[in-house]
Amino acid sequence: MPLCTMRNIVFGYDQEPVIRDFSADFHKGEFIAISGPNGAAKTTLLKLLLGIAKPWSGTVHWSADMKRGSVAYVPQQVASFNPGFPSKVIELVKSGCYPGLGLFRPFHSRQHALVEEVLKEVGLWELRDRKIGELSGGQKQRVCIARAMAQQPDLLVLDEPVTGMDAANRASLYQWLHGTVKSQGRSVVMVTHNLHEAEPYLDRVIYLEGKEACEHVSI
Amino acid sequence: MFQYEFMQRAFLAGGLIALIAPILGIYLVLRRQSFMSDTLSHVSMAGVALGTVIHVEPVLSGFLFAILGGLLIEQLRRTYKTYSEVPVAIIMTSGLALAMVLMSMKASLSKSFSSYLFGSIVAVSRTQLIIIAAVTLIGLAFFVLLRRPLYAMTFEEDTAAVSGVPVKLMSFAFAVMTGMIVAAAMPIVGVLLVSSLIVLPSALALRFARGFASAALLAVIAGMTGVFSGLTASYYTDTPPGGTIALILLVFLLGGIAIQRAAKMLGIWKAGDVSASGVPQSRKRQSNQTIHKRSY
Repeated sequence: MPLCTMRNIVFGYDQEPVIRDFSADFHKGEFIAISGPNGAAKTTLLKLLLGIAKPWSGTVHWSADMKRGSVAYVPQQVASFNPGFPSKVIELVKSGCYPGLGLFRPFHSRQHALVEEVLKEVGLWELRDRKIGELSGGQKQRVCIARAMAQQPDLLVLDEPVTGMDAANRASLYQWLHGTVKSQGRSVVMVTHNLHEAEPYLDRVIYLEGKEACEHVSI
Repeated sequence: MFQYEFMQRAFLAGGLIALIAPILGIYLVLRRQSFMSDTLSHVSMAGVALGTVIHVEPVLSGFLFAILGGLLIEQLRRTYKTYSEVPVAIIMTSGLALAMVLMSMKASLSKSFSSYLFGSIVAVSRTQLIIIAAVTLIGLAFFVLLRRPLYAMTFEEDTAAVSGVPVKLMSFAFAVMTGMIVAAAMPIVGVLLVSSLIVLPSALALRFARGFASAALLAVIAGMTGVFSGLTASYYTDTPPGGTIALILLVFLLGGIAIQRAAKMLGIWKAGDVSASGVPQSRKRQSNQTIHKRSY
């Protein structure tokens, strides 16, 4: 039973559709990349998957097992957030635990340990008291990924997560994501241009080429 | 000056608004909606005018208009996603135009309107004081109880929505809250300066605070200090209270900017010490070492 099923999706921003008759299944424990040339509607596809955009026709069906807060999303431009946003790194990453805690439940040692773990994983534990506006682009990106992981999602959706990262950090991120998929049974859907770098860690690639062509490649 | 009941009321009303308006300001500034308070005050003025013309309590109609204006801005913000300042311009000019036309229908309105335009905190009535207290309590409950979803959607709306925050509902509730606080703050500084009470303390706080709670606290302290010192200065120098409060808040902000710049020049201020690459110079070596240590 897939976590999410997209069937016969048609969507566009104007008269002309940018996605035509797209169908795909997203399963538990899969590391999937969505790739393709500029303008192939990769980000649009993510927005349709997440319900941020509504398709003209077709269906997006989520498994009943997917509860509120079980999907985490890191958009493409999130690292360019307001540099004056008044938060330290640790405060922002802690906010990733909010969906699990609801409005009032306080932080316990479990959440503190989780935040420490994800910050250490992305190599930013030492910078936890730094204001987020003071970080570099790549560091901001890693903070946002850490925040999403602190949510402990069943499905993690990342749009161009390696923007601003050097090669070593990119490889380490792919390795870490692959590890969480295999050891914790999470699913990761990631838009990327760096297919050749990510390929060794992926289970499947959805390659979008233009409005109609769509190739699913199992690796 | 506290032997006068009107001054006691003025300090109480000013203190209550200074408690809630700067907190609202933090969210408005971060959501890039600083002009929303200005717009809603103009819309509220149209409500006051309409109330007077149709013989409905003007305070109440002004309040209602501010809330409706907030809801309308939020709806238009969703329509004009790319040009989010367009709805603000549309609603502001519509509110002002409606107020002007309604004012022309009743000649006696022009005189009492100066108190709405420039504020008359020393003439705050008992009813207004009760409204201000109620709005402050509701506002505090709103911002405290919903601080987690508000934080999430202020950081990024799409990620908040995906993680389960009812962003649309929250945004409309936030718009209603903004309308209520703006309408309640109008007697203090008036239509023309209401955004000074909301935006200036938060703009100052956001320059210095390193956390969200500390930003809210700092904004409230700045707001309260500005209101109390403005009222005191106004009493002794016989200047309009609204304008005096706004000028003092402006001096605070300019002073804060000057202190921050001086501290940067002297090398004391580390927070803004950011190089072109975005990595703080003073800690560049440390962060590079950290990257090599990361484990993923």
